[in-house]
Amino acid sequence: MADVELEKVIKVYPNGFTAVHEVTLTVGDGEFVVLVGPSGCGKTTILRMIAGLEDITGGVIKIGEKVVNDLNPKERDIAMVFQNYALYPHMTVAENIGFALKLRKMPKDEIQRKVKEAAHILGLTEWLDRKPAQLSGGQRQRVAMGRAIVREPSVFLMDEPLSNLDAKLRVQMRSEVSRIQRQLGVATVYVTHDQTEAMTMGDRVAVLRDGYLQQYDNPQVLYDNPDNVFVAAFIGSPSMNLYEATLEPGATAVRIGSQTVQLTEQVRIARPALMRYAGRKVVVGLRPEHLPASTNGDGPELKGNVDLVEALGSELLVHFTIDAERVIAEGAHEEDAEDLLKSGEGVARVDPRASIKPGTTATFSVDVERMQFFDPDSDAAIRG
Amino acid sequence: MAVTSIPPVTAPPTGPAPPGEPLIVGRPDAFRRRLARLGWEFTAPALFVVGIVTIFPIVFSVVMSLTHVTLSVSGFHIGSFTWGNYSLILKSSTWQYALGFTVVYTVITVIVELFLGTCIALVLERLVRGRGVMMALLLIPWSLITVISAELWAYIYDPSFGIADRLLHGLGLGSPTILGSNVSAIIAMMIADIWKTTPFVAIIVLAGLMMIPQDVYEAAEVDGANSWTTFWRITFPLLRPTIALAVLFRVLQAFNLFDLPYVLTSGGPGHATTSLAILGHQVMFTDLSFGPGAAIATSTALLVVVGCFMFLRVFRAQVGKEEL
Repeated sequence: MADVELEKVIKVYPNGFTAVHEVTLTVGDGEFVVLVGPSGCGKTTILRMIAGLEDITGGVIKIGEKVVNDLNPKERDIAMVFQNYALYPHMTVAENIGFALKLRKMPKDEIQRKVKEAAHILGLTEWLDRKPAQLSGGQRQRVAMGRAIVREPSVFLMDEPLSNLDAKLRVQMRSEVSRIQRQLGVATVYVTHDQTEAMTMGDRVAVLRDGYLQQYDNPQVLYDNPDNVFVAAFIGSPSMNLYEATLEPGATAVRIGSQTVQLTEQVRIARPALMRYAGRKVVVGLRPEHLPASTNGDGPELKGNVDLVEALGSELLVHFTIDAERVIAEGAHEEDAEDLLKSGEGVARVDPRASIKPGTTATFSVDVERMQFFDPDSDAAIRG
Repeated sequence: MAVTSIPPVTAPPTGPAPPGEPLIVGRPDAFRRRLARLGWEFTAPALFVVGIVTIFPIVFSVVMSLTHVTLSVSGFHIGSFTWGNYSLILKSSTWQYALGFTVVYTVITVIVELFLGTCIALVLERLVRGRGVMMALLLIPWSLITVISAELWAYIYDPSFGIADRLLHGLGLGSPTILGSNVSAIIAMMIADIWKTTPFVAIIVLAGLMMIPQDVYEAAEVDGANSWTTFWRITFPLLRPTIALAVLFRVLQAFNLFDLPYVLTSGGPGHATTSLAILGHQVMFTDLSFGPGAAIATSTALLVVVGCFMFLRVFRAQVGKEEL
């Protein structure tokens, strides 16, 4: 049974701007679904439409088999965690958590019991008498969670709940939120712009861009088989190296700049459609970890001028440049980072023992079987 | 004017402190003293002006209220100490009436203004277009000098050509002289006051409303609150500090009620609209009884200060310190 179903949902604002274009997706029973995308991609709008805080221009939203298009938020059996927590500043933690129950006219002792239970799960027991102003950011965030938990809704909606926390706390709360969600088994729709958050938390991740659903699948599939250039560039950090390239006749090799990388038979078997692109331009994508430093000199290789080496202990991130045109998916990177991406720049993740120095030329092995191919006009992945 | 040179900032000594001596934290004492003196030097001119126009009259008035003051061609003569001025006014039925009138007048006008002002602010908050224009229009009564708006109301209430008189006549309420009878004069004055000051309250409350984050309302909506519960459980409690501020301002103003009765009724008919300020003015400048006049002024000021202080204490106890 699907807990939330969106069928061709459209949102057009009064000024004529279409924020969401025919988005269709389902959230299964107890599933943790993350909506991710750059700002303005429509993810928050979708969440607010599910919550009932925003009108639906077209399409159908169902919660637990029931069409909720015209229902008030309170009739939808949802609970929401807001980006800025939206705690009631004049109420204590206990009152904040118990407010919804009080409105339901639940008996006082039962409210107290449920509030205590939620506070126990969230480690808020000793703060129950405090006002939000007296709490730290992380505690406020947990109160916001508590307010959602105590309602025992059929769906949790979370709008960037961790974005106001500092980096360390965010990582901690990430696993905390996941733990609580699994413990309660309530279907959750979680909005974030942070792809790491999406990858680590979501059972399934919906990638959005400009109001269009780009791909909806589990994180590993998004990572291994992105449907298009945008998903390829957006998911993963450091992001996938994407270059303009030309496929040799017979798809035997691919020319990236002035270098030629031989393709194996397996590549052509896995992607028969590649043959249609023989002799034509394609976009190739290579994850940094699929470019290990070459040791023995056989197999497909790529040479690059090393600009910078970042030693992370477990690995080296080698920033290099080749003489090929880098493909930049608009919106997939932070705005400033987009400007910083030089033409031909790439990143390789190599073994820390490899002796690679900035200013030299390095040779990287190319894991051609993991190489991604995209149509340069439609940006869609070339498969099948 | 001599230019005061700013003393150079001497850095606290660095390096390890000698054994046995405490590490010096912050600035040396001499430097701090010099800085404090400099502060006084800079603020002296302003303090001097404040002293002349505020502190001196207050002190003088308090002194007058506690002494036998006589007036002659050569000026004031401050005589010996006495509680007489206070015991005189406390016993006077006119003062007692003026106190009662001022209190009742303040309470009623402030409550009505608060109610209307909050209603207007709630409407204005929802207004997407034209809020600026509406606010400007609304502020016209408030921006008028009270004496001028009082004159306007005097025309409206005029028994021979005032529109209020016509209106009441048209409604079949006879033709009472509005400012001629006690109750109607008081009500008429309250209406003029409410007309003028409601916009002020509305603007303050609107500012308070706009400080409440939108997502708090959305959270309440998701929590299942209808608009009535949202107002009583969210909006109103969050507005309380703002409302307290508005009440404080208005009580201070209303308690010093002077220009409206001065223009509209001169405190009449009889003493019906004689506020404490009007009474003080009459006693001081019409009767030339400076001692009792000063006693009225001083006691009124004291009442306002004590009243406001108590109000704040009670209020603070209710909403908690961090919100005020």
